[in-house]
Amino acid sequence: MISVEDLHKQFGDHQVLRGITTRVQPQEVVVVIGPSGGGKSTFLRCLNGLERPTSGRIVVVGQEITNPKTNIVNVRKQVGMVFQRFNLFHHLTALDNITIGPRQVLRMPADEAESLARSLLAKVGLSGKENSYPDQLSGGQQQRVAIARALAMRPQVMLFDEPTSALDPEMVGEVLQVMKDLAREGMTMVIVTHEMGFAREVADRVLFMDDGCIVEEGQPDALFAHPQEERTRVFLSKVL
Amino acid sequence: MNAWHTAFVQLPLLLHGLLRTIEFSLVAAVVSVILGLIAALCKLSRFGVLRGISTVYVEIFRGTPLLVQIFYMVFALPSIMPLNAWFGQDLYPIIGVSAALALNEGAYVTEIVRAGILGVDRGQREAAESLGMTGYQTMRHIILPQAFKRMIPPLVNQFAQTIKDTSLVAPVGVVDLMYQGQITVAQTYAAFSIYTVVAALYFIVIFAVSRLANYLERRLQIDQR
Ligand SMILES: Nc1ncnc2c1ncn2[C@@H]1O[C@H](COP(=O)(O)OP(=O)(O)O)[C@@H](O)[C@H]1O
Ligand SMILES: [Mg+2]
Repeated sequence: MISVEDLHKQFGDHQVLRGITTRVQPQEVVVVIGPSGGGKSTFLRCLNGLERPTSGRIVVVGQEITNPKTNIVNVRKQVGMVFQRFNLFHHLTALDNITIGPRQVLRMPADEAESLARSLLAKVGLSGKENSYPDQLSGGQQQRVAIARALAMRPQVMLFDEPTSALDPEMVGEVLQVMKDLAREGMTMVIVTHEMGFAREVADRVLFMDDGCIVEEGQPDALFAHPQEERTRVFLSKVL
Repeated sequence: MNAWHTAFVQLPLLLHGLLRTIEFSLVAAVVSVILGLIAALCKLSRFGVLRGISTVYVEIFRGTPLLVQIFYMVFALPSIMPLNAWFGQDLYPIIGVSAALALNEGAYVTEIVRAGILGVDRGQREAAESLGMTGYQTMRHIILPQAFKRMIPPLVNQFAQTIKDTSLVAPVGVVDLMYQGQITVAQTYAAFSIYTVVAALYFIVIFAVSRLANYLERRLQIDQR
């Protein structure tokens, strides 16, 4: 589903990713953890072309995004992204936030897009909020609309960049629940998060990233219980 | 005859001039918003040529006096091409001053539009692009609608400025409120009363427009909370 080979990214002369190699299988849930500034967001943003890698090779849903000839729009259509700060379109209602992608990008008829949006809002537990604007919704509700917006494109993969970090604690659960449901349905997901309990529960594999490298990876139980690397141990002792 | 009475008798003429002033202002406002939008998009484009053209346009029209631009349009250009013949002796000066006003205001509107677009949170663009929207779709459906909302108060303020600027069409003999004032004063010698009325008429319109801008600005601030 996703294959990354020797990915490097630098901003100016600042090396942010120093040779990332990994694969994500269909239906796999990969959780990325690590200290802030370690390059997790940059890694995720390279996977849908929001950042352009300095070198390396990335293939997502069969398309090599590092090849300049690839039309990045075709990749993005199939890769959903959820941001830390939701980034809902402020001038559109919850319903229109969800329909705009299918309508503009997939050329879906209005009535079809609307019924899709209603069913997705129901799925994330927000029936009745169709006509609310983002500013009228709580953080947790906004993030659930943002997930529905990404799902409306019927993506093959979902990327989450710290989806609960900007939320008040009492709203974290409702967003994680939606993500757990997705995982159970077999959605392929790459999730950057600091929610270790959640990682333990849903991850098939955990990557620990620090200083632009994957320091260690493994199944959640093994990695959390018996980290092999000193840096992983230090990080886990701070967050667990 | 009492000077104020003279001014009162001349009021219909002055009001006719005011109407022309408002017409010039509206035409300049509409055209300048279109020009400003195009120039701002060029300025933010990834193509250097477009950025260059737009920068030269803005710098020239902000870097020279409007009165000079009006003289240039009305007297300089017709001396090297037959604009008067093409548009007619009577019509060309009106077209010329309208073009000068629109181009001049357009240079200021460019900066307003540019600031409006840059003021939209970067996350909005990223969210749109991550859905697979093209640059055009992102601009048209996501960025511009939000930018436009922020642009309305400064655009209305700019419109108040435009109304003042139109008085510079009088020196080239094009009829507006200022020109009507000059003509009536020449005929009646009631300079004090007539220019007072002229100033009052400008003030009423401009004051109303700037109050509107203030009101819109306050409402926008409430919206953004
Ligand atoms: N657009 C950018 N320009 C310059 N430096 C950046 C940019 N984006 C991220 N960085 C830098 O890259 C490093 C990694 O950032 P990031 O990928 O956001 O890490 P994380 O998500 O793990 O906290 C940080 O030092 C950050 O300052
Ligand atoms: Mg980050």
